[in-house]
Amino acid sequence: MPVLELRDVTKVFPGVVANDKVSFTLEEREIVALLGENGAGKSTLMNIVYGLLSADHGEILVDGEPVKIRSSRQAIDLGIGMVHQHFMLIEPLTVTENIVLGREPGRFGVIDIGTARKRVAEISERYGLRIDPDARISDLEVGLQQRVEILKALYQGARVLILDEPTAVLTPQEVRELFAVVRSLVDEGLSVVFITHKLEEVMAVADRIVVMRDGAVVGQTRPSETDEVGLARMMVGRDVVLRIDKKPVACGETVLEVRELVVKSDRGLDAVGGVSFQVCGGEVVAVAGVGGNGQTELVEAIVGLRKPVSGSIALKGNDITHASARSSIEVGVSHVPEDRHRRGLILQFNIAENLLLGDHRVAPYARHGVIKLREVISMARKRIEDYDIRTPSEKVLGSSLSGGNQQKVVIARELGRNPELLVAAQPTRGLDVGAIEFVHRQVLAEREAGKAVLLISLELEEVLSLADRILVMYEGRIVKEFAADEADAETLGFYMTGGGGTKLEATPPEASPAGAGVGE
Amino acid sequence: MLSDVITPDLFAAALRIATPLALAAIGGTICERSGIVNIALEGIMLFGAFFGTATVLATGSPWLGVIVAVLAGVIVSAIHATASINLRTDQVVSGTAINLLALGVTGFLMELWYGHPGTTEPIRTLQPVFHFTASGEGVLNEIWRWINGVFLSHTPIVYATIVIALATHWAMYHTRWGLRLRALGEHPRAVETAGVSVARGRWVAVLMSGALGGLAGANLSIEQVGVFQENFTNGRGFIALAANIFGRWTPIGSYLASLLFGFADALQIKLQPFRDVVDIPPQFFYMLPYVLTVVVVAGVMGRAIGPAAVGVPYEKE
Ligand SMILES: Nc1ncnc2c1ncn2[C@@H]1O[C@H](COP(=O)(O)OP(=O)(O)OP(=O)(O)O)[C@@H](O)[C@H]1O
Ligand SMILES: [Mg+2]
Repeated sequence: MPVLELRDVTKVFPGVVANDKVSFTLEEREIVALLGENGAGKSTLMNIVYGLLSADHGEILVDGEPVKIRSSRQAIDLGIGMVHQHFMLIEPLTVTENIVLGREPGRFGVIDIGTARKRVAEISERYGLRIDPDARISDLEVGLQQRVEILKALYQGARVLILDEPTAVLTPQEVRELFAVVRSLVDEGLSVVFITHKLEEVMAVADRIVVMRDGAVVGQTRPSETDEVGLARMMVGRDVVLRIDKKPVACGETVLEVRELVVKSDRGLDAVGGVSFQVCGGEVVAVAGVGGNGQTELVEAIVGLRKPVSGSIALKGNDITHASARSSIEVGVSHVPEDRHRRGLILQFNIAENLLLGDHRVAPYARHGVIKLREVISMARKRIEDYDIRTPSEKVLGSSLSGGNQQKVVIARELGRNPELLVAAQPTRGLDVGAIEFVHRQVLAEREAGKAVLLISLELEEVLSLADRILVMYEGRIVKEFAADEADAETLGFYMTGGGGTKLEATPPEASPAGAGVGE
Repeated sequence: MLSDVITPDLFAAALRIATPLALAAIGGTICERSGIVNIALEGIMLFGAFFGTATVLATGSPWLGVIVAVLAGVIVSAIHATASINLRTDQVVSGTAINLLALGVTGFLMELWYGHPGTTEPIRTLQPVFHFTASGEGVLNEIWRWINGVFLSHTPIVYATIVIALATHWAMYHTRWGLRLRALGEHPRAVETAGVSVARGRWVAVLMSGALGGLAGANLSIEQVGVFQENFTNGRGFIALAANIFGRWTPIGSYLASLLFGFADALQIKLQPFRDVVDIPPQFFYMLPYVLTVVVVAGVMGRAIGPAAVGVPYEKE
């Protein structure tokens, strides 16, 4: 008997059928991967199971018993736990406080924090999820934050664990650790639903694969019966090019020049410790590195969101070291931020407004300080079309979009501005394979148009397939530089984890990038 | 001259004046921690003061007046809760509406019940809890005179407020209610996914702030002045919100910030007799507490970070 069964679940949002008679089963100790394009309805389906949304039609059965789940409380009581696509953690509170929230140990309403901490320690010991129970969430890296989310579900006594895109924010090393944890959970008797866009992960971890498209289940398979290409075709309904060939492009004039840049982190430490590099027109330079090695601060300094301590940044020879975010946009820097919720979108704004942000002062979208709605709407409709943002209209709020479609809005805005320099941090985070192919083509199109691209990515695949040159960043320094054809995942990984020592390797910036000089 | 200004009753007055501010400020703290802005505190205080006074006029019992004032605060705040939690209206609009309503309704009921605008008849007030005397000479007697004058000369709600500040502060960091409250204003959806009702938590917080606002009104009318006057609160609800910010959204912080405003006001009153000496218009002195509010809020605003989700209506789906 399945631990969880859905029968003909239907959910309609204004203008969208998010789930169309979906039936789904999860057996005990099974890992089911739920696959599907952005907006296919995966999160919606799982939010229904977790009591955050209510289905319009259909039945849910837990251990064979029909149940009505009207709130997360009921889902938790039925043994269902969920790690959400966008984390549900309260940043100023501690790890322990977040985990016990809703089921606080203690008497007469007074929390017994000692017991709470002990229980957290027990669970983290038992499943090998080590964490400092007194750390504040805001001080933790995403990988650890996710660990807190999993611990929270386990603390609440989950037997069915739903993981909504758990690996989107993780480094390859953290992904391997997560898989080990998931397997040990299954050994302990849990059952897992795993949503992801990364096909190799599906092949590695799933017992069974369920594919959704346009709100409906379109197929089921097992890793032994298919391969990544087959999965991609099932998901998108066409053949997907997983790795795009890039044309050789000549390196043009220097667009971005960073010299001896020192940037402090929020905690006052030197996050970027004297970094120098150049990006020329027609070139994609990737910064590879494990998260938290200064990439965030580097990007923020370049796009004008953080004041550097020393050093200089120049765009086409003009100094922009102390430029504000606004003037940075005005001189042609576009920025795809790593955290779409914090920096990429205003969730309470609609899609058209989100697409306008940053261009809201300039013609043709504004004149004399008044926004020209007609222009904005036609721009928004065009970008929704061009970037395949799945939504019934440009008036839909950012918060109503699926995670991947939110990301597409950010990409559409930043690329649509036609920048001189594109600074893209994790641009394909949360995108499906089809959308990734599209974004990669767009990035390469920028490159072919002679624009400069600085790519920050944790995905080595992405780095290797897009970059002309790769800078490996470790503890705030560039410890190694590769031409694209010299690098492979293994060597990159070696330098990313500090393998090459932390001394700056003397690589002259004018070292010619791969394929340079072979213009069409 | 200095010894005329720096006297026990200056500090006693500071404590007294701080009391309604602190009660409302703690109410504001609790409310904002849950994610709801409560600028209706001004109006809630006014309602509390009016119905408290009316009760004492009708029954002669100051304690009954206090209870009715608190209930009035709770009932009025229920309007704010319904509007901002269930109907998801803009919380500032709902708060402003209640403030205007408070002015109108109390003015109208003055006419209706007492036949004239302005001020009610004097009522029986709550008396100081302790009645010690301090006389005699010598250092020890002088110290006793200060202790008695500053701390032991107050009415019940003044002491209750100190207890409330300490108790709510402790509760905010040690109880289930406190943890959930702090979480609610930061990330309501996360609270929901942890199986806790956002609406219920916010309702409780808004009603608590209403009770505290009502009690503040009772202190003003039934303890301090002994009458009700139209627009009695005179902006205290807003100064209380500033005190909440200055106190960094904590009950003890709110209390201490209110004490600072109370001291400024007490000093201003003390300095009034000297205005002939230095020839400054009295308005200048009246202005001091408000100037202090502006300076303090402008000065700390940049650094004070409130709850992340405050003021944002929460929608379940
Ligand atoms: N609260 C909402 N209001 C209106 N429409 C919504 C809401 N939530 C989701 N939708 C719509 O329902 C559809 C399915 O969204 P869902 O989030 O389930 O997609 P998903 O499969 O999780 O995609 P992704 O991989 O991008 O996260 C989308 O078209 C989305 O725009
Ligand atoms: Mg999703």
